[in-house]
Amino acid sequence: MNNKKLTLLTIGVIVFYLCLIIAWHLYDPSAHFTESQPGADHRPAGHVRKADDVLIGEFFMQDNGQQTTDNGQPSTLKGEWPCFRGIHRDNQTTLTPSMKWVEGNFEEMWSVETGEGHAAPVISEGKVYVLDYDEQLSSDALRCFDLLTGKQLWRRWYRVPMKRNHGFSRTIPAVSNGSVVTIGPEGHVMCCDKTTGEMRWSIDMKKRFGTEIPFWYTGQCPHIQGDELVLAPAGKDTLMVGIDLQTGSTLWGTPNTVGFKMSHSSVMPMTLGGVHTYVYIGVGGVCGISAEEGSRGQLLWSASAWQPSVVAPSPLQISPNQIFLVAGYGAGGALLQVDKQGATWTASIRDSYKASGGMSSEQQTPINYQGTLITILPKDGGGMRERLAMYRPSDLHHPIWTSAADERFGLGPYLVIGDRLLAFKEDGELYVYQLHSSSMTLLRKQRVMEDGIDAWGPMAYADGMLVVRDSKIIKCLKIATE
Amino acid sequence: MDRRDFLRTCSAVVAGGVALASGGLLAARASTKEGEVFWQIDPYKCTQCGRCETDCVLTVSAVKCFHANKVCGYCDLCGGYYRPNVKELNTAAENMMCPTGAISREFVEEPYFEYTIDEALCTGCGKCVKGCTSFGNGSLFLQIDQERCQQCNECAIARVCPSDAIQRVSDENAYKLKDHA
Repeated sequence: MNNKKLTLLTIGVIVFYLCLIIAWHLYDPSAHFTESQPGADHRPAGHVRKADDVLIGEFFMQDNGQQTTDNGQPSTLKGEWPCFRGIHRDNQTTLTPSMKWVEGNFEEMWSVETGEGHAAPVISEGKVYVLDYDEQLSSDALRCFDLLTGKQLWRRWYRVPMKRNHGFSRTIPAVSNGSVVTIGPEGHVMCCDKTTGEMRWSIDMKKRFGTEIPFWYTGQCPHIQGDELVLAPAGKDTLMVGIDLQTGSTLWGTPNTVGFKMSHSSVMPMTLGGVHTYVYIGVGGVCGISAEEGSRGQLLWSASAWQPSVVAPSPLQISPNQIFLVAGYGAGGALLQVDKQGATWTASIRDSYKASGGMSSEQQTPINYQGTLITILPKDGGGMRERLAMYRPSDLHHPIWTSAADERFGLGPYLVIGDRLLAFKEDGELYVYQLHSSSMTLLRKQRVMEDGIDAWGPMAYADGMLVVRDSKIIKCLKIATE
Repeated sequence: MDRRDFLRTCSAVVAGGVALASGGLLAARASTKEGEVFWQIDPYKCTQCGRCETDCVLTVSAVKCFHANKVCGYCDLCGGYYRPNVKELNTAAENMMCPTGAISREFVEEPYFEYTIDEALCTGCGKCVKGCTSFGNGSLFLQIDQERCQQCNECAIARVCPSDAIQRVSDENAYKLKDHA
């Protein structure tokens, strides 16, 4: 090969590779890609969703297509635990005369997983309702289960993006007059038909009443009196309101002249001085609002001498004119006396003490059982911390009985069924005590949750079945049979 | 008959018999479809572990997401469509659960959307199925695409499936569709 040919060949090779390099630079392998941009689903312009757009109750799913049991028959169960602390709002109930306690270990009827949280269930006519939070969908979800089987019948939910703060869910629904009412962690009130799940109405307490949602979210459970829902939004202008259960319209409102803010406590109905009263502990103090026809919504009295920054337990009436107040995080307990002379009301703190100085509770509301007060002492309750304890209303400083040193329950719930107290340790172990006038006897204990975590949600009982939960699982136990 | 004729006759008989027997067997097999079994996923056993995507012998798995329109709730807030904790409810890529954009949807009427799977883009990861099953109606589910499946003697996915959801099925059950249940 001569030099000329060699030079041409070299130039040809160089040109070939140059063309390859230029082509490689010019070729765009992603030219046929399409970007995934907003609007690809052709959602109409007027329906664009923002992250904080909350449309309460917008989604609904019916799981088995019918409101019946596996046999295709409507549930025959008629037992009720329809709201926070049960029918009488005292956390007490009884076995029906035909029922007797199950001997030995309680059988687990069913178990369902939930979103992380502490929202507890209620039971009505063979159905279980719980306001869950689904983290994947960032949604509050009212779920309805069959009490016998645990099968989900329907759920209604709405998107509320939130950050975890000791889980998400908190509150207990209220069922009455064919409706189920829930309050979500961000103060969203939803009312549905309790059978079909059909949406009735909703209220955003932040928008309507200017409520400031407390740290750790809303813990207030709805209270239904007759055909009226009572809420304590403790907002900019409104302290308490009565809502028509059928329509959602406001029936009455109490101006927030005392300047209280929303706490984690719930409205409790009481009769004080012969007057039906709604008692509420807000951040800022305690108040009593008339529940009487004609003066409903009128602020009767208030007291600001005792005002912990965080209050979870609800007020507990311990005599015709005395209310036990309690809060956690070192606040301890207090005794409030409410007197009425003519048209004048006075409310005064007669006693108050730190958690280690007497009867106290961090999260659960104590029980007034036949004149004896039952509580689980808080973690700052000194040597008796986290133990079950009984007190006389006349002496809130010295317990008449406490559980053994190894029977400590943390923030777990407890309730009374007949003459027995059931306490659920926060790690998921159930204790059954025989109640006596001034003491309790441990009958047995049973591990319900393997590796249970933060079992703080209150229990519910109806028709021989006890529904318990920890932070991620709800279980139903058969504790009594016909 | 001499020895040569005898051997020729015997050979013809054997050859004819073999030919007849082979033809008969082939005809019988063709008529009964004997041996036509397929690997398929039982969607009610599937736990969406993600191994269908990674353990199939094919470079892009033969497992695909199927959608049962009759079961679908046509939800706006679909757990199979949006990834968890999205900031905005729109079709921007960062909000999508599907890593390959295989799920698209069209507005039907407020607040309903119709969902469609682009099978060519689907890798069978099952993320959308998990989202739909955990909160929705479970209308999204995984199936082995019989057009792509190599029908290996031992399915590599079935070998590692933790819920034993992949089984051999007959041709009339080649797919286990939820909207045919």
